Amino acid sequence: MSTDKDFLLPDLGEGLPDAEIVEWLVKEGDQVLLDQPLVSMETAKAVVEVPSPFSGTVVKLHGQAGDVIDTGAALATFAVDPSLPQRAEAEDTGHHHAPKPKVAPQPPSAPPTVTTSAPADRADAGTVVGAMQASNEVKHEAVIAIGGIKAMPAVRAAAKKLGIDLTRVRPSGPDGVITMQDVKQAAANPSALATDATVSPTRTSAVPAAVSTPPLPRTSGERAGVRGDPYVADPRSLAGKPVRTTPPTVQASGQPEPIRGVRRNMARIMAEAHAQVVPTMLCDDADLHAWTPGNDITARLVRAIVVACKAEPALNAWFDMANSTRTLHARVDVGIAVDTPDGLFVPALRNADMLDARMIREGVNRLRAQVEDRSIAADELKGYTISLSNFGMYAGRYATPVIVPPCVAIIAAGKGRHQLVPVMGGIETHKVLPLSLTFDHRAATGGEAARFLRAMLDDLARAN
Amino acid sequence: MAEITLIEAVTQALAYEIAHDPSVVVLGEDVGVNGGVFRATAGLHARFGSERVIDTPLDETSIAGLAVGMAFQGMKPVAEAQFDGFIYPMMDHIICHAARMRTRTRGRLHCPMVLRAPWGGGIRAPEHHSEAPEALFAHIPGLRVVIPSSPARAYGLLLAAIRDPDPVIFFEPKRIYRQYKEDVPDDGEALPLDVCFVLRDGADVTLVTWGAHVKETLETADALAREGISAEVIDVATVKPLDFDTIHESVKKTGRCVIVHEAARTGGIGAEIAAQLAEKAMFDLVAPIERVTGYDTPMPLFRLEMKYLPSVERILAAAKRTLAYR
Amino acid sequence: MKTVASFTIGYRQVLDPDGRIVDALPEFARDPAVLVDLYQRMSFTRVFDGKAVALQRTGKLGTYASCLGHEAAHIAIGMAMQPEDVFCPMYREYGAQFVRGVKPRHVLMYWGGDERGNDFTGPKHDLPWCVPIATQCLHAAGAALAFKLRHEPRVAVSVVGDGGSSKTDFYAAINSAGAYTLPYVGVIVNNQWAISVPRSAQTGAETLAQKGLAGGLACVQVDGNDVIAMLAVMQEAIARARRGEGGTVVEAVTYRLSDHTTADDARRYRPDDEVKHAWAREPLKRLRTYLEALDVWNEAKEQAWKEQCGRDVDIEVNAYLETRSQPIESIFDHLYAEAPHDIAAQRAQAIALEGRRHG
Repeated sequence: MSTDKDFLLPDLGEGLPDAEIVEWLVKEGDQVLLDQPLVSMETAKAVVEVPSPFSGTVVKLHGQAGDVIDTGAALATFAVDPSLPQRAEAEDTGHHHAPKPKVAPQPPSAPPTVTTSAPADRADAGTVVGAMQASNEVKHEAVIAIGGIKAMPAVRAAAKKLGIDLTRVRPSGPDGVITMQDVKQAAANPSALATDATVSPTRTSAVPAAVSTPPLPRTSGERAGVRGDPYVADPRSLAGKPVRTTPPTVQASGQPEPIRGVRRNMARIMAEAHAQVVPTMLCDDADLHAWTPGNDITARLVRAIVVACKAEPALNAWFDMANSTRTLHARVDVGIAVDTPDGLFVPALRNADMLDARMIREGVNRLRAQVEDRSIAADELKGYTISLSNFGMYAGRYATPVIVPPCVAIIAAGKGRHQLVPVMGGIETHKVLPLSLTFDHRAATGGEAARFLRAMLDDLARAN
Repeated sequence: MAEITLIEAVTQALAYEIAHDPSVVVLGEDVGVNGGVFRATAGLHARFGSERVIDTPLDETSIAGLAVGMAFQGMKPVAEAQFDGFIYPMMDHIICHAARMRTRTRGRLHCPMVLRAPWGGGIRAPEHHSEAPEALFAHIPGLRVVIPSSPARAYGLLLAAIRDPDPVIFFEPKRIYRQYKEDVPDDGEALPLDVCFVLRDGADVTLVTWGAHVKETLETADALAREGISAEVIDVATVKPLDFDTIHESVKKTGRCVIVHEAARTGGIGAEIAAQLAEKAMFDLVAPIERVTGYDTPMPLFRLEMKYLPSVERILAAAKRTLAYR
Repeated sequence: MKTVASFTIGYRQVLDPDGRIVDALPEFARDPAVLVDLYQRMSFTRVFDGKAVALQRTGKLGTYASCLGHEAAHIAIGMAMQPEDVFCPMYREYGAQFVRGVKPRHVLMYWGGDERGNDFTGPKHDLPWCVPIATQCLHAAGAALAFKLRHEPRVAVSVVGDGGSSKTDFYAAINSAGAYTLPYVGVIVNNQWAISVPRSAQTGAETLAQKGLAGGLACVQVDGNDVIAMLAVMQEAIARARRGEGGTVVEAVTYRLSDHTTADDARRYRPDDEVKHAWAREPLKRLRTYLEALDVWNEAKEQAWKEQCGRDVDIEVNAYLETRSQPIESIFDHLYAEAPHDIAAQRAQAIALEGRRHG
């Protein structure tokens, strides 16, 4: 009675991936005894003689001189003779490698895995201890798509480090992939960033991905990523959330529409303002704790602007770079930002320095009404000397309001809130109003702006 | 195409930096003619000579102290601890001097050194050769602790570590030193420190890990994908300072987080991530945070080491526990 | 049995405790002006030391490690070095540092709880005070290795105490200096006491100097209270190192006349008689005796110099006392070259807390 047993090539060194057969010392059909010299093998480090691990008959030799056997692959098969001395079954010490992936599923009786690479090509396993897993498998990390943005992990990490918003980077890679170079360029030249957060998906959509470039190389470890996941039949996640498996298309994100009228005007004016002005921001909170009931926030803001313009006229001015002039205004015409579905209007509240609270309220109400029913005269939409945006009636604390030339300053008021204020002997809850002041640093100094804001805060701190 | 293993990527980065920065030297035990016991410095001695690739006497304290002293005088030493388990005598110099000289002298002196060490288990090595001590260093103010998980990240992050003007502990996951190859151009391009690498986009559960366990974690994500579950996989890469934002962004999306590390559980980096999730992401979570880690025992000798290290099975079970919360 | 190697340890003394010349005068010591200068520097250091202790005792300084009795050893170390050499002190070598341009105010700032003391005047490459014992020896060896690799004719000098010479790092430094033939001079200022543990309990070695033999360094013991012998030995060791001939261990035998620090009370563990005996051998008295015999010093000059030192030290003390504390953000500002996001967040948090306190 006999049992066939495979002798798998052990790790002959320390972490060696394979060894080359130098010479067989037995042939198929030979009777061998335990520990009888079996084969001479050459590793990256030495030539070693390998003894037979069994007593019995050599059934098969899995390779011939010059062949390279992977560690863990079958070297020889024996018909074991139980009547002869055998070694006790020991627990595997693990000092061989897992077979290479291509041989992993093969049963022990499968044909031998033999590669014939030249010894010079063999990797030095390089360890003084243990058994190193080694293979020549090549992996490629996958591009991952998040929110329609496709980039390699390293590119995402670099963007994060550099503070670059990937949604605003123009992809130059195949299939709409953002490359490392794209991120570096964006970091070096922030003005080249797209201003519309949807640029990346729409740009991608401009080139049908399926025909433009070959698919990215894939390995077994890689998720299909941008082209849909073969594992995911139902495009819904376990949590019930829709899982998009393709890049956003025109259909998914809507049709481009031309911009017209007020919105187009807004785009033009804002782009010009952005190109010309050197905007500088100051933010602070006005403390409204002392206010008596009945104060109108808009009226108080306009009054505070008027007071501040008197204190620091440099911000109530027009600036003309081309002619190198500035015009300091004696009167204060406050541009009031009015948001409409069609875009932004800025009608002027004339002679604000002459108005009391009630007149300011009436003036603002009239302008809003005329903007809404489009009855406002074109003259009323220009010629203001400074402007106010009261976006806080909706939400938001601070903002970066944009100055429209020739003005040199704009004040924005955020959403008022209550906050804890330490005072002598304890803590009080005060109503505060966050203010954001943008001034054109070409026309005014930081000191002028700070004194202007101080004057506003002081006026707003008054009871009425 | 330069398709190389992680250990070859380390060598490539060292060679690039020695060639391009005259203040960079490599020192450690057996790093010279022998090229390091793992061959991380293979060929460097022959190419750059004994003044750039320096064999040291067999004393870890000396390696650390000499490197610190050289760095204070404007060199950029890249010191090697031959194994993670031999790094402990070096800690006095790293903690008391390297990490805090800039602070102590208000910027007059600083310590632009890198301490490299093969890190972690899984190669069936003898005792004291399979440790994962990243949390010990991450606790120290003034240090960076970086653990790459692929050949490309080993190259790019090691370049960044050497170029960084402050001390960096660079742990190399030895289990995947030679496990696979990747195309790593020798272009001298560093990768960013202090940020996570998102390796897989997913919507249902966030798997956070670093080092060699990126492999098992990606395999877990594959297994989950076959069940229709999409897992986001984050390689932390720089465990100190921790880029919690990236983890938080992911957890906002998934509501679930499984942290995987091979170091012992108590006081591990996983505890820090979990603590920050509790502080900042409590209301984004739909399931308790899971940690899949080594046990709070010494790393066992190698017959049991794979049972100590987090397996795909354990990570999968933890992910499933979080997914039980809808 | 054959002898494969044999060693001797030399002892150097020029000026004995009674102010007599007992060995050949080194060349520099033939110029009385040089000796007066050495004396004045030692005297200044002692005046400073007394002032610092007084500041601590009156609540104006934190714990302070006095250098009383070490003046000759410390001044000689400083005088033997060049500015481009690197000095790696322990924490009481003020005399050497004053020679190198460190201002007394920085010593006071360090012991007065302000890190800016470590950003001292003087050579910018010198290391700050090093409290973890003997680690500075390896940093000096590392500096010496850097100098050697860069082919710079510079020398690194570290100081360690008799207790510190028991530490791994001290032996490691000696071993490295020998293995790489480094331009390194390791000075052991043997003041007989490591806090409460006497020199006799540190080691069975007859001398501490001989510890250098194991690393292959030159070794010499010197009377650390004799500034002439001390300076001669240091000059020779540093010149040898600069020539590339290797390192030296210098054991300077002296005595800690003070407590270990102002927080220590040495009367608990050492006999008064021993201290009394040590005062008879202290470094200033013998040099003054010799200078007076040469007729280049007298009581009037002594008084005038001490008054001068008092005035100069007072200027430094006032500069120290007038230094306002740093704002809380200073603890973050030099942690890294550029604050990582987490440190930036903690910094902002700390500043916000300050604002609340003052608001």
